[in-house]
This record gives sequence, C-alpha cells and structure tokens, in this order.
Amino acid sequence: MTDATSDQGASEVTLEGRLARLEEILARMEAEDVALEEALKLFEEGVSHVRQAERVLSETELRVEELLASGETKPMDIDDA
Amino acid sequence: MTDDLSLDLFGESQDGPESEPPPVQEPEPKVWSVSQVNRAVRGLLEDNVEPLWVGGEIGSWTRSRAGHCYFSLKDEKAQLKAVMFGRDAQRLPTDPDEGSKVRVFGDLTLYEARGDYQMVVRRLEGEGAEGLWRIAFEKLRAKLETEGLLAPERKRPIPRFPACVGVVTSPTGAALRDIISVLERRAPWTRVVLSGSRVQGEGASTEIAEAIRALCASGQPDVIIVGRGGGSLEDLWAFNEEPVARAIADATVPVVSAVGHEVDVTIADLVADVRAPTPSAAAETVVPDRAVLVTQLRAAPERLGRGLRQANERKRERVAGMLASLARSVERRLGPARQALDLRTAGIERRMRGLAERRGSALSAMSGRLEALSPLATLGRGYSVARTSEGRVLREVQDFEPGLRFTLRVSDGTIAADTHEILEDETP
Repeated sequence: MTDATSDQGASEVTLEGRLARLEEILARMEAEDVALEEALKLFEEGVSHVRQAERVLSETELRVEELLASGETKPMDIDDA
Repeated sequence: MTDDLSLDLFGESQDGPESEPPPVQEPEPKVWSVSQVNRAVRGLLEDNVEPLWVGGEIGSWTRSRAGHCYFSLKDEKAQLKAVMFGRDAQRLPTDPDEGSKVRVFGDLTLYEARGDYQMVVRRLEGEGAEGLWRIAFEKLRAKLETEGLLAPERKRPIPRFPACVGVVTSPTGAALRDIISVLERRAPWTRVVLSGSRVQGEGASTEIAEAIRALCASGQPDVIIVGRGGGSLEDLWAFNEEPVARAIADATVPVVSAVGHEVDVTIADLVADVRAPTPSAAAETVVPDRAVLVTQLRAAPERLGRGLRQANERKRERVAGMLASLARSVERRLGPARQALDLRTAGIERRMRGLAERRGSALSAMSGRLEALSPLATLGRGYSVARTSEGRVLREVQDFEPGLRFTLRVSDGTIAADTHEILEDETP
C-alpha cells in the first residue's frame, strides 16, 4: 500500500508544491555551503520539477466546472451561462 | 351597511343606518355603532389621503415575532402611530434606534379594532442617503470586531499557485465572465469551480453563504473568490449581511472578496482574507501571471547549473585549500625535527670521523707491533723453527728422537729434515 500511495503522491505533486520546492532548491543551491553531493541531488530534483511544471503551464484551456448540490462538479460551458 | 357610508358620515345623511337624522331637539338621536364609525373614518382616510412621505423622529420601536414593526413617529409637539409589516420591514438593513431621525413613506389608515389612527409604512429611510444602511453596517461591523473576526492576524495568505479556484457569484453575471477571462489569460492550467448563487434580493445573503459552505465542503478549491459586479448600495447589500460574513469567516480556504467597484467597502470585504476592488482584480490576485512564471521557470535550469558548478568549484577549492594547509602543517611539525636531525647528523659524522681517525693511528701502531712480533722477522735474522709434521714446535734436544722426520721453517721456505745424530750440549 505504501508503494502505491507514494507513487501516486510523486506524480500528483501540485504546481504549487513543485514551484515552492523549486524555489527552496534554488535558494539552497545559491547558498554558500552546499556540498557537491547534495548539490548534484538538488540539481537533478530541480530540473525534474522544472520539466513537470512547464508541462502543466503548457495547458491552454481553462477548465470551468459547476458545483452541483451533490457536491460533485460538472463541466460548464461558459458561453451558455 | 353600504360602502358609501363613510362618505355620509359628516354630511347630510339621506339613508342612515337606523332612521332619519333627528333634529337636535328630537329625543331619539341616530346612534352609530363603534365599528361603523371606525370603518367610516378608515374609509375617509384611505380614500382621501394619497400615499405620502412623513419626516420625524422614531419614538418607540418594537418588532413582533412575525416580523411586523410597530413604532411611533414624533416631533416636538405631536406623535403618529405607525406600523411596518413584515414584508416591507424585512428589507430594512436594521431596526432604527429610538430617537433617530427618519422619513417614511406610506398610507394613512385607521386600525378599527382599537380606533387608532396610524400610518402603514412601506419604506423607511434614515436621515441622509445611506443613513440606515450605514447604521446597519456599523452595527454588524462592531459585532464582528468584538468577536475578533476582523483581526488582521486572522487573514490567511493566498496560495501562490492554486490548482483550483472556487467562485461564488451569479452564474449569469458579468463578474463570472470577468473572472474567467482573467484566469484564462493568466493561468489557463487552473481549474475553476463555480458555486452559483443569487447576489442580490431577498435571501441572497443566505444563498451566498450556502454556496461558500458547499465549496468548502467539496474540498476542491485552494482559494475562493466571492463577489459580484458593481451596483447600488441596496444591490450590494447581501454582502453586508451576517450570513455572508459568517460563511467567509468559517471558510476552510482563503477567501478573496470582490464586490462592486472600489468605492464600496462591504462587511464581506472586511472579513475576507484579501479584498479585491473588482472581480477581475480578484482573479489577478489569486493566480500568477503565466508569462512571468514561464520566464522564471526557463531561468531555473541555468541557475541550478550555476549552483552546481559553484558547489563543484567550492569543493575543489576546499580540497586544494586542505592540501595546502596539510602541507603547511606537516612542514610546521617537521621543521624542528629536521633541524634537530641535521644537528645530530653533523654530530654523528663528526664523531665518526674522530673515531675513524683515532682508529687509524691505533691500527698503524698495532701493525708496527705486529711487525715486530712476526716470526718472519726473527727468521730473517737467521733463526729457523723445527716442527713435527703435526706442527708441534721442537724446542729441546729431548724433543728429537733419532730418525725423527721434521720440517724446518726458514725465512723464505720450509725444508724437510730428519734426525741423524744428537750432539748433546754442544754450546751453552
């Protein structure tokens, strides 16, 4: 169970989480006291966050949904609204 | 009784309820019932007096459980009873305080059951354009402030990159379109969830509050925008009512209020975590600008690379520095030892040399003595040594037996010999 959830967790990091982590990594790497081994790890992690975030940012269509009484949502065509 | 009875009350009656109006002196006057009189007066008032505005001070004010308000209007000399029925009274932003100056609009009538003449008020306004609204606003504001709901430390920060934005507004209003168009331009990866609600009119505040609660309960949004486009103070009133304020205060995620245009501050604005002047501004507040974000992201790998190179450089410098300092430290430690060693080496050499010299002279002395002791030198002087074949030296006559073979060592060789004759004591 732990494997499945951690896998899912890794792929479903929010954009917010990614960018926040990226900033943290940049701040860390630009600090004076990072060991080379750590810097390498941070570099790899940072680059992967950049790639994933760019993929998210390449989305072009805003999704608009309507909250139903049931608590579920359904896509909403704003031009009809 | 006829409908036009009231018209005749003060005139010449032609067909009174019981008989002809009697002459003054007549013993049987015409007697009206109380109901008849009140009904007649009521008719007079209602039919002859147009709806009107009356200005005055609130004397006493009570609101019944059914929502009807009974009060009096007064000036220095007189007072007038008034009633405002529930349907009209519920539109009041608040009950006016006693003594406050108001103006009311309505009809004059008579409450037949009590014979009280009164005004049925349809509208009531505080003095000044926003009098009562202002009062209601201040009352609620004071109440929420006392509860601490307006405290700056309650304000939560807006998430910087929300994945999902909740919106509470009218599904058909301009506000929704404005919000969507800003989000589309700035952050099209965002998901928008609308929880529709009426934003003005009776019960709107309850609907807005419900919509906020439903969004929170859905667990979807990271931030909620609550708002509507601009309008009159009355149009915006729902956002000044307690249900909306409570729902915003209770929201599980930060709320951005976006009500009307900049000049109108509402209670919702005060309770919200962030106040935006318009729905468009609210949308800009909750999402980052894609262009800026993309630029930052593109710069990130370069920054990461630089960081890595620096870390590498730092490491190399550190190793070089460590080596240098190690060398220095070895040098420091070795210096005195080496000096001591040098001194000692010199001493040893000196001593060795001295020793060697001394040994050399002793050797030559010894070799002189050895020279002196050498039997060869004696042999050189003419002596010889007789020895048996086993090497035993034959020193005396008695060592020789007749026929004994022996060797004779002279200075430059050895001669084999044998005993021929013994000549005893030839020379002493």
